[in-house]
Amino acid sequence: MATSDTQSDEMLSSDRGEGGVEEEEIESRVGLSYTLLQIQRDPTALVGLAIITVMTFIAVVAYLDAVVFDYLANYSFFANLGVEQYWFANTVWTHPENDPADVRALLPPAWTENAFGAGTWDHPLGTDHRGRDILVRLFYGTRIAIQVGFISTAIGMVFGTLIGAVAGYYGGWIDDALMRGAETLYAIPFLVLVIAFMAAFGRDLTYAMVGVGITTIPVFSRLIRSRVVSVREEDYIEAARAAGVRDRNIILRHVIPNSFAPVLVQATLQIGVSILIVAGLSFLGYGVQPPKPSWGQMLSNSRGYMLPDPWFSVWPGIAILITVVGFNLLGDGLRDALDPRVNN
Amino acid sequence: MSADEPLLEVRDLKTQFFTAEGTVRAVDGVSFTVEEGEIVGIVGESGAGKSVAASSILRLVEDPGEIVGGEVRFKGETLVGFEEGPDGELRERDEMLSNGEMRGRIRGREIAIIFQDPMESLNPVFTVGGQLQEFIEINRDLGGEEAEQEAIDMLREVGIPEPEARYDDYPHQFSGGMRQRVLIAMALACEPSLIIADEPTTALDVTVEGQILDLVEDLQAKYETSFIWVTHDMGVVAEICDRVNVMYLGEVIEQAEVKDLFYDTKHPYTGALLDSIPRPDETVEELNPIEGVMPEAINPPSGCRFHPRCPHAREVCIEVHPENRVVDGDGTPHRGACLRHEETFMAGYWGSDPLGNETQGETDPELTTDGGGSDE
Repeated sequence: MATSDTQSDEMLSSDRGEGGVEEEEIESRVGLSYTLLQIQRDPTALVGLAIITVMTFIAVVAYLDAVVFDYLANYSFFANLGVEQYWFANTVWTHPENDPADVRALLPPAWTENAFGAGTWDHPLGTDHRGRDILVRLFYGTRIAIQVGFISTAIGMVFGTLIGAVAGYYGGWIDDALMRGAETLYAIPFLVLVIAFMAAFGRDLTYAMVGVGITTIPVFSRLIRSRVVSVREEDYIEAARAAGVRDRNIILRHVIPNSFAPVLVQATLQIGVSILIVAGLSFLGYGVQPPKPSWGQMLSNSRGYMLPDPWFSVWPGIAILITVVGFNLLGDGLRDALDPRVNN
Repeated sequence: MSADEPLLEVRDLKTQFFTAEGTVRAVDGVSFTVEEGEIVGIVGESGAGKSVAASSILRLVEDPGEIVGGEVRFKGETLVGFEEGPDGELRERDEMLSNGEMRGRIRGREIAIIFQDPMESLNPVFTVGGQLQEFIEINRDLGGEEAEQEAIDMLREVGIPEPEARYDDYPHQFSGGMRQRVLIAMALACEPSLIIADEPTTALDVTVEGQILDLVEDLQAKYETSFIWVTHDMGVVAEICDRVNVMYLGEVIEQAEVKDLFYDTKHPYTGALLDSIPRPDETVEELNPIEGVMPEAINPPSGCRFHPRCPHAREVCIEVHPENRVVDGDGTPHRGACLRHEETFMAGYWGSDPLGNETQGETDPELTTDGGGSDE
């Protein structure tokens, strides 16, 4: 008797456990709030989120200082107030683009010394080959990295999602045409594709972002298409069709929202990848043009000084590393939070 | 639309699925009508083609399926219509509504569908109210505010407690029965003339099923909407339907008023369906299932399609394919497709040798006397 009691107790509790899992599964399909809760419980994702938040904050300040102030300086009202590009940086510290008056090039970080002298706390991370402070240039390079990551990924995500959803929803020759097109794009090494794109249109950062965005379209369209193919068979899609909803609205309101979770995860990871790619492009001389600071270009400048002054190249490398890791940590956390099968 | 024309008329409808194994004749020449304010049942086993027939009416059949022939007329408009072209091929008739017209004027607005599985028929990422409102906005040309008010009224109408509060709930926060109520609200909210209910209570337990049936009867009386009720459950048919079509392998094999169907069964398959309903006084061993399974619709049996499973099958049943004809003209026409009604079919059933299927299933004495009686 006793054994049978324990058995039934066990069964009960396991039943309850299953019920709990099922409830979470249903919750996760719905909720932003649930997803955020899952991320809060995941320390690595929180670290990623913290990194991204800090980086984004720096980027926003840098954007204000470098772009918005530059624009406002055109108006006499603001110009009279003293508003100019890098107003903020200049006031509190030092100008990130102009060569300083007392050029002390290639200084090491504050706590070390090298052939050019001992580091000073005026330039905590040292100076570059033209005597500009490395830390302030890193700060202003953040803006480029974050901007590039978000915008190029947004381009790829929006177009990739639309193409993949349309292909998956209609199937047949539309599917074939769109997906074979996307795969053709996939087949060309994307660095070559982006460089060819920029060679055709210009070396500007805008074209770098658009080019990288275009090369990531197939990643997103393949991803969402695989989900849409199963979602389109769901009864609620059939119900919407039976109720006379237009195909456009079915795709936008019913199909895409139900297929979007993997795209969101991929987008987060893709931001990191895009930052790397654009850093690589800047290194090759495409993208941000000097003297605007960007991490890839700082790396490029440091090439010749790698042995005598390794810090010069280490700092932008670390900046890229931290940012990309931040996005990857958040992406992994998001994946776990959105995937009901992963048991937290 | 003339006064005596039915609300919906389906004539010789054929829907086929072109699969790798061959052409599946899911619906093979089905004809029936629906009058205004009437609940018409379509009954049959799984695979009989009930659901395909229902979705063919709205032209919702998807690849690899295709409507290949027949006619569906609704309120004087042609939803499906084929004619023979000059080259002898069947082609769509000119007056057949375009896909855009079907979507804009018919689907949802005039004919709504309630699907089988309430758990799957609501979009999980939208609130219940939002979906209801979307459908109302599309089909009744109402603005956001009005549509929302209408949606809340509809939720109250179908018996959702505190509809204002539940309006912003997501589908997973509703139970199965509540979701089915929401789906009924969605169908009714657009004030259609006809609702196709595709096994709407199959996924529900019996008490909830009873509540839903009561609700539908009340609402049907109130809105005078016609229903096509697709089901495999003879109990539901008896409860709710006015007239019934029994389908077997893509064909309607018996068509009658619900009372006539139950008390004066004309086709052995219908008899077998009625016999196979479990009764509380029977044990599992005493159950009377129909022998065998329904054959594939790729290669239907020759002659009468039911003959391999029919306890009354005779040699002639293999050769002669019975169309469904009026076999009992008293009062409302009672149509059946069984050669035992010799006076209608004149195929020489009683002179033909039995196939010996009787041993497989228990013979229904009532049916035999009835069928035999009409011969003598």
